[in-house]
Amino acid sequence: MSEQRVAKRSLPKLKYIVIRPLGYPMRASYHEDPEIDDPKVFEQYAKEQWVGEVVKKGKLLFDSRMFPDFAFEVISTEPSEGEISNSTVILVEQDYPLFEPRVVKDVSFDDIVGQEEAKKKCRIILEYLKNPEKFGEWAPRNILFYGPSGTGKTMMAMALSKAAEVPFIPVKSTQLIGDHVGEGARRIHNLFDKASQVAPCIVFFDEFDSIALDRSYQELRGDVSEVVNALLTEMDGIHENTGVCTIAATNRINFLDQSIRSRFEEEIEFKLPTLEERIKILEKYTASFPVRVSNDVNFITIAKETDGFSGRDLVEKILKPSLHWAIIDGLHEIDTEIFIKNIRNAKKIQSKPPKGMFV
Amino acid sequence: MQLPQMGYDRAITVFSPDGRLFQVEYAREAVKRGATAIGVKTQEGVLLLADRRVASKLLELETVEKIYKIDEHIGAATSGLVSDARVLIDKARIEAQVNKLWYNEAITTKELAKKICDFKQTYTQYGGVRPFGTSLLIAGVDESPRLFETDPSGALLEYKATSIGSGRNVVMDYFESNYREDISMEEGINLAMIGLGKAIESELTPDGIELGVVYLEDRKFRAIEDEELQKYVDTANETIKQELAKVK
Repeated sequence: MSEQRVAKRSLPKLKYIVIRPLGYPMRASYHEDPEIDDPKVFEQYAKEQWVGEVVKKGKLLFDSRMFPDFAFEVISTEPSEGEISNSTVILVEQDYPLFEPRVVKDVSFDDIVGQEEAKKKCRIILEYLKNPEKFGEWAPRNILFYGPSGTGKTMMAMALSKAAEVPFIPVKSTQLIGDHVGEGARRIHNLFDKASQVAPCIVFFDEFDSIALDRSYQELRGDVSEVVNALLTEMDGIHENTGVCTIAATNRINFLDQSIRSRFEEEIEFKLPTLEERIKILEKYTASFPVRVSNDVNFITIAKETDGFSGRDLVEKILKPSLHWAIIDGLHEIDTEIFIKNIRNAKKIQSKPPKGMFV
Repeated sequence: MQLPQMGYDRAITVFSPDGRLFQVEYAREAVKRGATAIGVKTQEGVLLLADRRVASKLLELETVEKIYKIDEHIGAATSGLVSDARVLIDKARIEAQVNKLWYNEAITTKELAKKICDFKQTYTQYGGVRPFGTSLLIAGVDESPRLFETDPSGALLEYKATSIGSGRNVVMDYFESNYREDISMEEGINLAMIGLGKAIESELTPDGIELGVVYLEDRKFRAIEDEELQKYVDTANETIKQELAKVK
């Protein structure tokens, strides 16, 4: 008893917890699995029993009233350990564990080289997430990131969430397409319900073109209209989604539905890195190489050879294989030649039009 | 996944419901695949500059041509499909000669540019053909320096300074903030060189570029080569290097 009190005093109150229905310790024929009817009612019901409990990930919570000894497992909490209080948001994971808010720890704005334009605009969103009240009805709500893959769209969204210290709900857009007609729309509404519970937060759609496809492609993909319409209603904010900031990323902006595009106040372009930015990227990432990089490695030469490479291309196709080769060959130092060799290999993969046809 | 444009991109003679001709737009993409070419008007005349770096050292340099003499007082730079460019250049040269025979005077730059654009336009309206995948910069001196850009649709625009090909956006950004109308030819060449240097992101070499000028006073198109070219290249390289050093 006294031990628990000590723990209580030093532990913070939880912002939210996510629990999953687990089951009974033993099962008899008369047992039935309970189903949560209304998340709001359940949250109240749960708090009446569990306020004051100290929980962290993995802990089991038992129901003591309607279904005695039915267990719930704690899947995640924010912060990582703490006490359930009256202000804690209790989220129950549904059938599909799709949209789990998480806290970004390892990405910051400094990790993104270049994209100054995008960074500037992100500061507005940052300000909003910190003080949602300040903006009132003029809140930035939906932002679209577009540009070639590997230019830092996802990183930017994560960095933003870290800087604003709000939960980040990553959504792989492909997850939103259900097996049956109507499921896609339901999942989208479900997602925004959850988001408004943990607000302020960032909902991030990756590969947004897979769900926000222009409705004229209805012939190709029968569910397009349904999903798009669901998105439109959510993004319009017919329901008060205060504090929910939607960021969508795509590399094929032209395929997006026009009315969805108009819902975004800002379309921020991410560009391929310029020569100077490529040099910075190379220097930044080689700094943490486990193998020493020779002093006479000329990053300018490498950067010049990699015109048209994205940040990710540089790291994944040039730096990583170069390091791997150096390790396998047992080299103590990496020189320019190794990098250049990998650039040649990487360029072979890129599809280029036949040389000589264009001039 | 390349989604079809609902079949509207199969033939050039078919409009899409929102009034676009996709084949013509695709032809513009072909222009973007070409190496960068630049045109700049100055107080003393007009100049054309083009990137013609070759992919293999086995290739004979002279076969890669980006800037052509059309008439005594007119030059043209191309970007896009090589083969289409050759046809258009031939057409332009013939038009210039036809004008001389019929009217016993040299064709004006504007008239020539119009002729080329009329020719290009027919390839966007009739069946069984495809549009030209080439843009031309036509530069010459009539009463004053003129600089026209023709694109695959047959649209004709006159510019003070412009660029076509892969580096267009970079060069245009640079020109937007640095071009003035009262520059001399030397300043103009420098401006174009730095723009090109920024676009190709590597050091300029005399072998890797072509430069053509028409001065207002003599109205003669000529290519600038060898030592004269080397001098401009060195100046531009130095400027770019200094700017790069500032960033680092």
